[in-house]
Amino acid sequence: MSLILHGLPPLHWALAGVGIAGVTLALLLLANRRLGISTGFEDLCSLALPLPYLQRAAVTVGREWRLPLLAGLVVGGFLSAALGGGWHLTWALGLFDRAIGLGPAGKLAWMFVGGLFIGFGTRLAGGCTSGHGIFGLANLELPSMVTTLCFLGAGIVTTQIVYRVFVPLVAL
Amino acid sequence: MTLVYLLLGTVFGFILSRSGAADYDFIQGMFLFTEFQLYGIIAVAVLVTAPGIWLIKRRGRTILGQRLWIETKPFHRGNIAGGILFGIGWSIAGMCPGPILVNIGEGKIYAVAALAGALVGAGLLGAFYESLQRVFALPALKAGTGEG
Repeated sequence: MSLILHGLPPLHWALAGVGIAGVTLALLLLANRRLGISTGFEDLCSLALPLPYLQRAAVTVGREWRLPLLAGLVVGGFLSAALGGGWHLTWALGLFDRAIGLGPAGKLAWMFVGGLFIGFGTRLAGGCTSGHGIFGLANLELPSMVTTLCFLGAGIVTTQIVYRVFVPLVAL
Repeated sequence: MTLVYLLLGTVFGFILSRSGAADYDFIQGMFLFTEFQLYGIIAVAVLVTAPGIWLIKRRGRTILGQRLWIETKPFHRGNIAGGILFGIGWSIAGMCPGPILVNIGEGKIYAVAALAGALVGAGLLGAFYESLQRVFALPALKAGTGEG
């Protein structure tokens, strides 16, 4: 299987796993920070919304490291595309295009709904794939094990419903 | 330090982009059990990070000599409800929070809508925290549900 991005072959999973571990450990050893991305959403919201929950110290104090880290993710994606065949805007969405095939407006609506679940869910759960799934599991934290099982399970059920029930039914 | 964070984010973003972790097809393949790349990545990342954290804890200090401080996440009903909601979103968008930003960097236009949704979602949680607190037995407003 190749990436949607320029049809590139993916990095070996073991190499990618070691690389992610390296970033996680570097962040802790250099900067005393536990890896986590989703609080960054609260951080971005807190720049515009004066809600007490978003203005709590845990969010505002972390701004100095979270915002540059988030910006780095965008830069990393940009470099990956630029070095892997050139950067250009795209609507390409692989399996979604082949099986569901909504146009640009439909994709934006679909992704906005997905984003709503992601933003609300990760912040209700207190973390996402990085904070619970990587750091929390590696640090043997029980809440992270529970959360990780829940999001993996819900992801499996949702995708199975969409691609093994919904798509075949619509195709009938 | 800002530059260090930017650099770590860039490396992280590049790996997410090239490994399939920020790729709709690899995410669906993981949930359909047709593609095991992502399970391998998560397993290796956790298995290598775990002894690393243990060693850094034993050392007790950061490189700069600061006392090590890892804030563990609180346990509450939001872990289950939020985890399930996030899993649904991960499947729909084919992205988790980091990859939303990576996909924007790659030039995938629809990822901007996923970010907009995620910000509205996080904002809604912030707006209704006090009501949700009772339902899900969430920690005090000052503490929050857990960083990350």
